[in-house]
Amino acid sequence: MSAVTTVPAVPSGQTIRRSDRRLGVLMLAPAVLYITLLVAVPFLLALFLSLTNSSAGSLQFAFVGLTNFKNVIASPVFQRALGNTFVFTFVSQLLVLVLGNILARALMRQFRGKAIARFLILMPWAAPISLATLGWLWIFDSTFSVINWVLKVVGWLGTGQWYYWLGDTTLGMVAIITIHVWRMLPFSTVILLAGLTSIPTEVREAAAIDGAGMWARIFQVEIPMMRPILTVAVLFGVVFTFTDMSVVYLLTRGGPYNSTHVLASLAFQDGVLGGDVGRGASVAIFLVPVLLVLAIFMLRTSRRAEVV
Amino acid sequence: MQTRRQFIVSGGKLVAAGAAAAAVGPAVITRDARAAGSLKILQWSHFVPAYDKWFDPFAKEWGSKHGLEVTVDHVGFADVVPRATAEVAAQSGHDIHMFLGLASAFEEHVIDLGDVVANLEKKHGKQVELARRSTYNPTTKKQFALSDMWVPDPGNYHKEVWTKIGMPSGPATYDDLVKAAPEIKKVAPQMQIPIGIGLSQDIDSNMAVRNILWCHGGSIQDKDGNVVLNSPETLAALEYTKKLYSVGMTQAVLSWNAASNNQAFNAQETAYILNSISAYRTAQDNKLPVIENYYFTPALKGPKATLASEHVMSGYVVWKFSKNQDAAKEFLTALVDASRESMLASKLYNFPSFYGAAAEAGTPVAKRAESGAAWIAAQCNKDPFGSTPPDKLALLAKALPWSTNLGYPGYGNPAEGEIFDTYVITDMFAKAATGALSPRDALAEANTRAKQIFDKWRQKKMVPGGGKDK
Repeated sequence: MSAVTTVPAVPSGQTIRRSDRRLGVLMLAPAVLYITLLVAVPFLLALFLSLTNSSAGSLQFAFVGLTNFKNVIASPVFQRALGNTFVFTFVSQLLVLVLGNILARALMRQFRGKAIARFLILMPWAAPISLATLGWLWIFDSTFSVINWVLKVVGWLGTGQWYYWLGDTTLGMVAIITIHVWRMLPFSTVILLAGLTSIPTEVREAAAIDGAGMWARIFQVEIPMMRPILTVAVLFGVVFTFTDMSVVYLLTRGGPYNSTHVLASLAFQDGVLGGDVGRGASVAIFLVPVLLVLAIFMLRTSRRAEVV
Repeated sequence: MQTRRQFIVSGGKLVAAGAAAAAVGPAVITRDARAAGSLKILQWSHFVPAYDKWFDPFAKEWGSKHGLEVTVDHVGFADVVPRATAEVAAQSGHDIHMFLGLASAFEEHVIDLGDVVANLEKKHGKQVELARRSTYNPTTKKQFALSDMWVPDPGNYHKEVWTKIGMPSGPATYDDLVKAAPEIKKVAPQMQIPIGIGLSQDIDSNMAVRNILWCHGGSIQDKDGNVVLNSPETLAALEYTKKLYSVGMTQAVLSWNAASNNQAFNAQETAYILNSISAYRTAQDNKLPVIENYYFTPALKGPKATLASEHVMSGYVVWKFSKNQDAAKEFLTALVDASRESMLASKLYNFPSFYGAAAEAGTPVAKRAESGAAWIAAQCNKDPFGSTPPDKLALLAKALPWSTNLGYPGYGNPAEGEIFDTYVITDMFAKAATGALSPRDALAEANTRAKQIFDKWRQKKMVPGGGKDK
């Protein structure tokens, strides 16, 4: 006979007991502390510094109003960085999504060496980005690029032809996006794999019986069913990419002639390397409106998907 | 029962307590960690690794003689400024911080080393002018840093290739580069980049484009700190670079980092670069095939001047938050005193900022600079590190007259430093050279930014001028 436990009825009007309240506060505190110290304080500080002429080597500063914003908006380097940030984010996320889907579908099937394939696919996620980018730096080196040497050997590049991956504005962005896609792909693949495996087999079978082909199955059955998890993966990727500067900083340092900067790397160059903290903060502040919209969208989607 | 308001207030108090603990904690820990009798030095990782093998034991030995435990931390040259920024923000870290170039932006947080320089000059004679102009602010009258060494920046040329085109001694003028580039393509078609002058966002390119600018009579500021970048001379320098780029360079130079020109020259992919002797020492150490054709030229002659920037130079500062300021000053004095050892440890890469510190012992102060120069010349004329011929580096001994400081013809002030660190000038040259902008538009863009930077520092009363900005 199984034991039956009766839960005492909670008197009406009494929500939580005092000890529970203390526990609640205690458990909430780390999150509140974390958000306050590492998000709210730096954000408010950045907002404040963007209105000053603060420099890295000084703790004194004067209020300069919107001068930093005016100068930054008028700067062609900033305008370019703003455009690059969107290109970098959306192109790389689109590629990650498409390639992640392909990989996830491949990994759903059984084949020899699947464990090794999974391990290799996950490698870029585990590798330190600084180390990985140094490897890519050689791959894309303007003088010694292994890609160029291979293309030369197979006859793709003729005499005098050469791709200056990091010396050309467009190729520089291609290189940056390539590395970022390589880096983000494992995470996306794992998420999408989880989404795909969560779709009941009966649904797929029913679709097949109804005569749905591969594309119809993917676009009319699987993707709609995966939408919540897909949205979370995309939003996470977008936020992560939008604020990332590591690949740009390590690979091109924003060059050639400051043409491959994204907002985060430009803020670092101006604020930390150049020492103009006020200007650097004002560049970084431009990330906020986009991130705010994305964050709201993300939270709503998560709630709708009952992920949180 | 607790209301929502009470719940939030309780949580808020907890957060405030935590924040206070976090704010006070590091200060307490920092004070405890600063044990008396210790000295912490932040030093770059030298481009000639042998130097670090000398410096670290030297510092530790000096410490043990003075009852101090000396710690030396090395960082890559690109991390020197970010580390300084972090230490200033934390008001904690090393006692001595070595800058590789201008430390002027940090003047407010460093002690005045005027007494140290005065004592050294009393002992060894005057420091070289480019060192003074990089470490002293005439506006605030503060000796914010001390330089123990500077590095000449000669041209490096491939002897065989230049001999084939009828210039066995390499180029002598900037015009020579333009004339030689098409010829180099003919005699050495395998070389990717006939003339390898960087136009990228890196330290070597930053120096190289300033050389071109100065030799055409342009500069960012005049001697009084007025922004004079917008000039026909700058325009001429940009037009020249555009021409040179079209006949002798490729897009590779737009992407170079500090090591790229070394690697390109050592792989015999270029016939001319502007660099110190570190690349040469690497070629020597690794017995690379290029070594027999590795030769040097002095600064190239331009239409208006013959000048080259120092390649790099030290600027040691002592932070105001250091608890061992006297010990730090004594150490820096000892470092300058050891200029001979320093130069030899760096395989003649470092040149003393106080020539007199390399003088024969017992030489009177008035003669020390001369004596030091003679010793330096003796090393360069017969390279103790195995050059063939032994006098290959002889021209370095005569580099001082054609070498100058960042900020020429003025001082290396913080505005010049910020322009350097944010690549305003390299970008101007790169945009003009590649046609991304016309030379005139590239100049206008750079001039606007330069004036903004100078204005900001003038508001802080750390940079002079402004009345005659162009």
